[in-house]
Amino acid sequence: MTKKTWKTYLLIAAMLLPSLILALGIILTPMISVVIQSFQDENGNFSLEQYRFLFTDRMALDNLWYTVWITIVTVIGAIAISYLLALYLRFCDTKISKFISTLYLLPRFVPQLVAIYAMMTVVRDSGLLNRISQLFGYNFKPGLLYNAKGIIMMNLWFNIAFATMIIVAALAGIPDSIVESSRDVGAGKIHTFFKMILPLSFKDVMIVMTFIFMSNISSFTTPYIIGPNHPKLLGVYLRDQFSRMRYERAAAISVLIFAFSSISAVVYLYTNLKEKEWEKTGL
Amino acid sequence: MSGNVKLELRNLTTLYKSGDGVRNINLTVNKGELVTLLGPSGCGKTTILRTIGGFIPATSGQILIDGKDITHLQPEKRPTAMVFQSYNLWPHMTVYENMAFGLKLRKVPKNEQKRRITEMLELVKMTGYEKKYPGQMSGGQQQRIAIGRSLLLQPDVLLLDEPFSALDAKIRSQMREELRKIQTDLGITVVFVTHDQEEAMALSDRIVVMNKGTFEQVGTPQEIYNHPVSRYVADFIGEMNFIPMLDGSTKAVRPENISVSHGTGKDLDGYVRTIMMLGHYIEMTVDTDIGIVKLYITAEEAEQYKKGDPVTLTLGDYRTYSDHQSAAK
Repeated sequence: MTKKTWKTYLLIAAMLLPSLILALGIILTPMISVVIQSFQDENGNFSLEQYRFLFTDRMALDNLWYTVWITIVTVIGAIAISYLLALYLRFCDTKISKFISTLYLLPRFVPQLVAIYAMMTVVRDSGLLNRISQLFGYNFKPGLLYNAKGIIMMNLWFNIAFATMIIVAALAGIPDSIVESSRDVGAGKIHTFFKMILPLSFKDVMIVMTFIFMSNISSFTTPYIIGPNHPKLLGVYLRDQFSRMRYERAAAISVLIFAFSSISAVVYLYTNLKEKEWEKTGL
Repeated sequence: MSGNVKLELRNLTTLYKSGDGVRNINLTVNKGELVTLLGPSGCGKTTILRTIGGFIPATSGQILIDGKDITHLQPEKRPTAMVFQSYNLWPHMTVYENMAFGLKLRKVPKNEQKRRITEMLELVKMTGYEKKYPGQMSGGQQQRIAIGRSLLLQPDVLLLDEPFSALDAKIRSQMREELRKIQTDLGITVVFVTHDQEEAMALSDRIVVMNKGTFEQVGTPQEIYNHPVSRYVADFIGEMNFIPMLDGSTKAVRPENISVSHGTGKDLDGYVRTIMMLGHYIEMTVDTDIGIVKLYITAEEAEQYKKGDPVTLTLGDYRTYSDHQSAAK
């Protein structure tokens, strides 16, 4: 190996420069300018007014808690359903499970807008379900649109496919012999799940959780189309403020969303970087 | 029924959805006996083992241990313990936790757990590895722990599914010896599955030679080696020369039962093809009219021959099979 001289370092720096400039130009600069803007009032003077407003105004606080609440319900719901689905796909070898395993990724291939409008035609109060119920003399109104239920349902629809895909891959990485040897020494199915399967797939579940959290805390399309007028999700609220030309407040909302994403990014990095002792040498 | 029988398979049939599997298997394994199921991959040996362990449901027939029918019990309710080919230990648990898992389930008191695990680690020569994770050990060490973990639970029948096949040759033969020693010392009943005939010969009290889901022959290693009942068994166990006869039958001769001399006129004539040193004996191959014949000779004998010499062979102890495959070889 040749000794590294200042020339080598210069070469390395020169080769890194294009990507560095790109990163500075399209990521860091706008981020910094948004952060700066969020600390300004309408006249461009330094002020904490935007944040004071977001954390004291009734409507703004409603929006904030509404967003966090919907996101957490989405994360928990998507993980719970996906985990059960993944367990079924991994451990039940039936025709139905094979059929589902070819189908469950479908939502990943349907554009968001198409999916939302398709769902609306089914679940709106005069939609397909309502029509069917009328055939039998009922007047069933699902009441799923323009409230939290509808947003969560749609979020689940989009995220279950993704979460299942990751968890299925994680469960597929657990050899049958691990489960079988657990049964063999006397552990029942439930014990085997909690002592073997869950710990061995925990890391992937955490990663999926952070992904779902990040993509849903800033979601826009779904709540914009089928969400209520109040409270609004932060993404919709941001656009709302932006279109009213309250750029500083919109910037503060951006920073807030970014802060939430950062929390889950930290969780993601932490679970990814912190190897448990048993993982160090690999399975 | 003899009180000595530990495990009995009665008309056991296990079929997969594809229709493959094993049919009408009958086998008794005595207390303290090590029986090996031997055959090429796909012959059904692992299917039988997994059916005994409860991992595949039996289609029909019965599995009895100590006279009790366990055919329909879940794996966790069976008095069997299985050692798998690989990935056998739970990677997120230390050696100690791996071994304690089954004991905890049986509600063995903590100090008793510790005493038994320490003893077992000594038996499998892994003392000092309590805090290691499986990923930090070699394959051989992992399988020692796996065997120890199974033995700790004092199973009525220990099932071993090619436990050494992923290990390299030297460790494999070492593990084999140790397993045999532990098994005879503790007097445990073992069903062992392998495709390695040498391993089967070295370990077993009795060998079951399997072919396409059925038993070809059941017997001690000596019986199977010296008196293979079919050409298939003769071919599968040890080295064997098949010499087609004019009447369509085949003579099967072990390489050690052929002697060689200069000249022509004995049972088979030919030319020396290769002379290969294989440790304490020499393997010679001879080109004859019916193909290549292999024989084992001593080093002194080998010195008298070189490649290309015309030689004649005398067939000693041989067996004759009259099946149709004979022309193929």
